[in-house]
Amino acid sequence: MSAQTAAVLHREKNALRKKRIRNLRPAAFFVLPGLVLACVFVLYPMYFNIRISFSNYQIVQRSMSFVGLQNYIALFTERGDRLLLAIRNNFLYAFVTTPFIILFGLIFAVMVNSLKRAGVFFRTCFYLPVITSWVVVGNVFAYMFNAGQAGLMNYLLKDVFGVLDAYVPWLQRTWTANLVIWLLGIWKNIGWAMIIYLAGLQGISNDLYEASSIEGASKAQQFWYITVPLLKSTTFYVLVNMVIGAFGVFIQVMMLTGGNPRGTTGVLQYLLYDKAFNLFEFGQGAAIGMITALLILVTTVVMNSVFKTKGGNET
Amino acid sequence: MKAVKRGIFWIVLLAAVAVFILPFLFMVSNSFEEFSYVLPTPPRILPSRINFSAYEHVLTQSNLPEAAWNSVLITLCTAFFTVLVSSLSAYGFARIDFFGRETLFRIYLATLMLPGFLGIIPQFLVLQWIGPGASGLIGTKAGLILLYVGTGVCGNTFFLRGHMAALPKELEEAVLIDGGGHFTTFFRVMLPLALPSISTLAIFCLQGTWEEFFSAKVILGGVQSNITLPVLIQSLKGAHATRWEWIFAASILAQLPMILLFAVFQKRFVVSGLAEGSVKA
Repeated sequence: MSAQTAAVLHREKNALRKKRIRNLRPAAFFVLPGLVLACVFVLYPMYFNIRISFSNYQIVQRSMSFVGLQNYIALFTERGDRLLLAIRNNFLYAFVTTPFIILFGLIFAVMVNSLKRAGVFFRTCFYLPVITSWVVVGNVFAYMFNAGQAGLMNYLLKDVFGVLDAYVPWLQRTWTANLVIWLLGIWKNIGWAMIIYLAGLQGISNDLYEASSIEGASKAQQFWYITVPLLKSTTFYVLVNMVIGAFGVFIQVMMLTGGNPRGTTGVLQYLLYDKAFNLFEFGQGAAIGMITALLILVTTVVMNSVFKTKGGNET
Repeated sequence: MKAVKRGIFWIVLLAAVAVFILPFLFMVSNSFEEFSYVLPTPPRILPSRINFSAYEHVLTQSNLPEAAWNSVLITLCTAFFTVLVSSLSAYGFARIDFFGRETLFRIYLATLMLPGFLGIIPQFLVLQWIGPGASGLIGTKAGLILLYVGTGVCGNTFFLRGHMAALPKELEEAVLIDGGGHFTTFFRVMLPLALPSISTLAIFCLQGTWEEFFSAKVILGGVQSNITLPVLIQSLKGAHATRWEWIFAASILAQLPMILLFAVFQKRFVVSGLAEGSVKA
């Protein structure tokens, strides 16, 4: 490159830079309202949350003083281990619900996709829980899993089908209560996964199915060797959304158990809410937020690397 | 063999539908009952009668009409301002090459990695500082609307920018040559062209805001006259005794607008799923 062309390039670069700076003025009208809101309600709160987590914020006096790691230490050494139980429950929720949501979401999407006219009806049925508010379905599940004979599940399982010997106090015991929380999560989210998979299925060319059926492939083979591999990036999208969503479990727990018995069904967001807005321990609440954020980041990085190495360079 | 497979297919599908419909059927059936705190045994899957006394009760004896009005107001305002702010912002990112654009957009994207609820404590305190008095905007509808619009900005800008950037530029260039500025281009060309994706955003915003519980509970929970429907329904569940028929009647009334919205815009719910998937693919 000659000195002359280098000078021209430099001048052009400078001119572009000046143009981009000049463009700040027209851009401000469009970008600024959003930017101000994002700063006030997203960016500043992120920074502020870090500070609160290292302080003992007093809501009434609006005062805060630095206390180092005290909030974190308090959370990890608390009697009853509410924090550790919550972390355990969030991970369990992710591990248990995600596979079922992906499996049934995919199966129902393929089934509904193969229907001609009735498809709309079935799609609506599966999607109904998605558009229903968590508070509403939380209440319905609370009644259905009522402890005594009045609960629908107890009635069906013991009196109608005879599977159980006695009525189960579902929501009063740790593992049956967690089971109900998982069931509600699975039931509510399958429809969402199904819609995403239905969209993914539209992207697969029909030629592939036609060509393979000419060569004698069965429906099951088509499913395993065409549908599943070609929907891999869709599956990853559903997986990431569901696992990150698992750290936001809240209403189910609030409506069904309130974290009882003794915090063994509690989750991080419920603990955050309880610490901050029932006990006014804002510092500890903010610290729970920090711990959750850290867990989400680590989980996302791990999922990304696992999926990348397994998938090679396909996606 | 084929008939058997067909049979299994339909049995599985109908069984699945039964599981998905059962809780709704149960809710509707029991909303016609009158329990007076005593639950029937065995529980009723089908209604024993059609009776609207529970509906009458929640409509005349509870806060439901007020909460419904609050929900309508908050949801519509949130959707309006979300569409306004996000489409302006998305246009800026998609069409104006300004200094620092890429960096700022990357910051917006980075914030999406964390779920919104994590910031609730500082957001609560920020709302407390803005506005008059000791509680500021806490307990006010305006505060909650601001919070909804503000926390949604990054994600909605990302969603709309993708769609706007994909639109052809020829029309806008014609407007710019004719002496129109970005202002004219935005309102005359971009908004009409981007209307499909903007309405998708609006519908999802309406649905999300209508059912949002966590922030609504935290911000409005202390002021009975300002609470939204989800907060009201949650408060109907008593600590010791619960009138389930009231809860169910209120739930069904609260859910009707969303079912209507879904019925009318079914296509959009599905098509946007498509778009969402393809953005990430």
